Amino acid sequence: MFLWESNRSMEQRTDVWQGTLALMVLKTLNALGPLHGYGIARRIEQTSENLLSINHGTLYPVLLKLEQEGSIASEWGVSDNNRKAKFYRITRSGKKELAAEEREWQRANDIIARFSALGGESS
Amino acid sequence: MKTLRRTWNRLWGSVLIENSDLSDEIQSHIDMQTADNLRAGLPPEEARRQARLKFGGLDSTKESYRDQRGLPWLETTWADLRYAARGLRHSPAFTIVAVLTLAIGIGANTAIFSLVNQLLLHPPGIDHPERVVGVRTEYPKLNLAFNGSSSSDLPDLRSSTNVFERAAIVRRGDLNYTDGPAPERLRGAMVSAEWFDVFGAKPLTGRVFTPQEDQPNLNRVAVLSYAGWTRIFGADRNVIGKVVQFDQTPYQIVGVMPANFEQPWNTDVWTPLGLDPQLYAPQNRLNESFFLAARLKPGVSFEQGQAWMRVLTERVYNAGIPISAIAKNGNWSISLVHYTDDSAGDNKPALLLLLGAVGFVLLIACANIAGLMVARTSVRARELAVRAALGASRIRLLRQMLSESLVLAIVGGVMGLVFAAGAVRLILRLAPENAVAGLNTSLDVYVMLFCAAATILAAVLFGLMPAWQVSRTDLQGSLKTEGRTNTSDSRRQRLRSLLVIGETALALTLLVVAGLFVRSFLRIQTVNPGFNPKGVMTAMYRLPLAQYAAGRDQANFHRALLTNLRAAPGVVAAGLGYPTPFSGDNQAGSFQIEGQTLDPGDPGPHGDRRFISPGYMETLGIPLKRGRYFTDQDSADSERVAIIDEDLARRYWPTEDPIGKRMRVTANNAPWVTIVGIVGHVMHWRLASDSGVGVYYFSLLQGRSLPGATIAVKTAGDPNLMVGVIRDAVRAADPHQAVHTFGTMDYYISRSLDTRRFGMRLLGFFGAVALFLAALGLYGVISYSVAQRTREIGIRMALGAKRQSVLALVVGQGFRLAAVGVAIGVGGAALLGQYIQSQLFQVKSFDPLTVVATSAALLGAGLLASYLPARKATRVDPAVTLRCE
Repeated sequence: MFLWESNRSMEQRTDVWQGTLALMVLKTLNALGPLHGYGIARRIEQTSENLLSINHGTLYPVLLKLEQEGSIASEWGVSDNNRKAKFYRITRSGKKELAAEEREWQRANDIIARFSALGGESS
Repeated sequence: MKTLRRTWNRLWGSVLIENSDLSDEIQSHIDMQTADNLRAGLPPEEARRQARLKFGGLDSTKESYRDQRGLPWLETTWADLRYAARGLRHSPAFTIVAVLTLAIGIGANTAIFSLVNQLLLHPPGIDHPERVVGVRTEYPKLNLAFNGSSSSDLPDLRSSTNVFERAAIVRRGDLNYTDGPAPERLRGAMVSAEWFDVFGAKPLTGRVFTPQEDQPNLNRVAVLSYAGWTRIFGADRNVIGKVVQFDQTPYQIVGVMPANFEQPWNTDVWTPLGLDPQLYAPQNRLNESFFLAARLKPGVSFEQGQAWMRVLTERVYNAGIPISAIAKNGNWSISLVHYTDDSAGDNKPALLLLLGAVGFVLLIACANIAGLMVARTSVRARELAVRAALGASRIRLLRQMLSESLVLAIVGGVMGLVFAAGAVRLILRLAPENAVAGLNTSLDVYVMLFCAAATILAAVLFGLMPAWQVSRTDLQGSLKTEGRTNTSDSRRQRLRSLLVIGETALALTLLVVAGLFVRSFLRIQTVNPGFNPKGVMTAMYRLPLAQYAAGRDQANFHRALLTNLRAAPGVVAAGLGYPTPFSGDNQAGSFQIEGQTLDPGDPGPHGDRRFISPGYMETLGIPLKRGRYFTDQDSADSERVAIIDEDLARRYWPTEDPIGKRMRVTANNAPWVTIVGIVGHVMHWRLASDSGVGVYYFSLLQGRSLPGATIAVKTAGDPNLMVGVIRDAVRAADPHQAVHTFGTMDYYISRSLDTRRFGMRLLGFFGAVALFLAALGLYGVISYSVAQRTREIGIRMALGAKRQSVLALVVGQGFRLAAVGVAIGVGGAALLGQYIQSQLFQVKSFDPLTVVATSAALLGAGLLASYLPARKATRVDPAVTLRCE
């Protein structure tokens, strides 16, 4: 029973994580234009001021999922230092998706913030 | 939307094996990271190591990427199916036997279902057939019930617009077509205006009838059936608007129906009924010479329609017209029948029985395959044990076993469909024409669905048992014993024995049922129809009323024809009559007995009516009991005479001699007719059951004549030679008249048994298939058991056991299984018997002779099936078997 529950919550956590990562990817691509996988990973780390340390490998299934959904598109190209790399860019439907997700996130944030503001008076 | 798009892409990802460029991408990623690390001042080795570390597990990335790319469950299922197919390819003998067995089972079911579908569920050419009904009339007090009705019922149904959408009546209206190379008789149907709408049928070309054309003398238009159009007019598109001669009257052809619409029978041509409005009046109520078909409104159930018919019946009772009293006295009522049931007639119970029989065959086939699969699991026990040891869960193993069943079932099902297509073709070719008229060989969507359902059902039936076995198998044991017998093996063998017992029981039940039908058929053939059909040829003619309006002219033609026939060479006796036995036509009517006053509430005497000429009784050999037959002296000018049969005499003149008494049809001013003879009763419809209605015969040559009749000619030689004789006689009487529907009396009697005969043969065939499959199952079990016991048999023989005793040992094992199965089957047949009793003839549903004969056949087959492996066992060389481990 315990095992089953913990498995389940772990799965949920991964789901949330994947969803958040997807949002970060979209946001990054929207702000900076086409980037390769390594570039995206670096930007996410930099933006989070290295608070967020991810295994770069986990990025790729997320990129694939976004591509299957049509939020991003990819193309092989050449990087700044002449290396062959696959470049991802956000599509029009990806931008719409991003806007919607951001609103959703903002709303969730506001709610949490209100609860945080309750403080510890009652306890 | 997003999810849909992703799933679609993942589906493609599963199907398309494209070279992913993920590896290149990862390589480029790590290279870039390494380059950055180098720039940060790390030594090359360390730079590369750190880059790898940062990226995380390569394999886990690739795996989650792959999972995201396709649909994992789809891919595992696909892999399972491929693995199963490969496994089946490696044991071709098993696969071929299993697939063929299954194909026979599914094919037989699909073929029979296709007939059920076309005859009962979805007859071609009828829109929403479940809403089309016919009207049935019953007179319980007169012991009379038939699917038919009066013209005056039509206005009642048509005005019931809250229940019925459409209603129409039809009457047989055959026509002579004389514009062709030879005079031809067309099967005609005279219909009221809405006939085609009742069935939702639309013309292929042209139009159908307007209400204006459904009036006297305005009804000289015709719609052709597809068959009539092709046969008579060579499928000529320009036929629409053409005027042709039917019954020497000009008719304009206005439409052609598609090939799938020939209602109400195999019609060549439809013409408007054009009834005199008088005939729709209430006083014509009990004048039942029509068939009434109607379409229920959408949302009105058959039961609601039925309830409404009771209301209509009550209305007639309470109408307060003279006919009300007669109706009430006969306890008259009208009710609904499903149109498909009416048109399927005797075929319905026969078809349902056959459907049950093929269901048994499929069950036996499934038991057989289950047995084979269980045997296969024991052979593969080691393989399964190894897979389990390598980490496959039981669920995974189960899934794999079920995949194998599914592959077998799908291949078997597809082959079954091919078998069914062939079987339907064969059945329609071999079946009696009147039973399958208008059916086609194409398998429609309902048949496909049925086949798919049968396939899935079969897969579950024969797949679950072995799968359950696998889930219970002691896998470690299998690994240790290296193929020697262990507990799960003996459990499997026991399971197979149970399956064999089960299929033997099913096969016996089916054989007993088939046997009962064979016995019934033999009994029926010995029934005396009440006349001697031998050497009698019959043919029909009908005089056009335009030319032969007067009864006297008609009688003159009959007389001339009779004279010509009698004078012809080879003719022993000749006569005319209508309706003749086993022709499918009938006439019946109430009559009055002179001097008899009826109690109020008594509907009065009633019987079947025939019009015959002198010589008719002699031709058919109907035995004279008392008095005399009609003679040539009974003319239009002499006293009117009648003959009655013994049944009528017994019922209405129980205490006195009817000869010399007078009777007349129930009508004002009908002339009195004197009874001059009593003859034996003649069966009219079928040998298996008599209507129980007495018959009275009037003279065709006296009084109001009939415009047509059936010619009957008896010869000592080959009756087929009489065809020319009859043609010549008709031509000599009037060269413009057509004579048609030639057939010997023997043929008509035999035809009345066609459906029963064909059903019996199919049942017998399925019984034989069941017998074969059960024997095959037994053979499989015994062979396997012999293979397992080779060592034991070797030891026995080394210790001096005789060949005979080894033979007895093995055969005895098989015989015991068969005997248990037979015993259960006898019980099953006894239980089932009550449901088929109504279809048997003079045979009890539990018939000892049938049970003994079929049990003997099955036990014999069982002995043979166990003897073959037993013989192999006795050829075992003890020295070899003892060394064989």
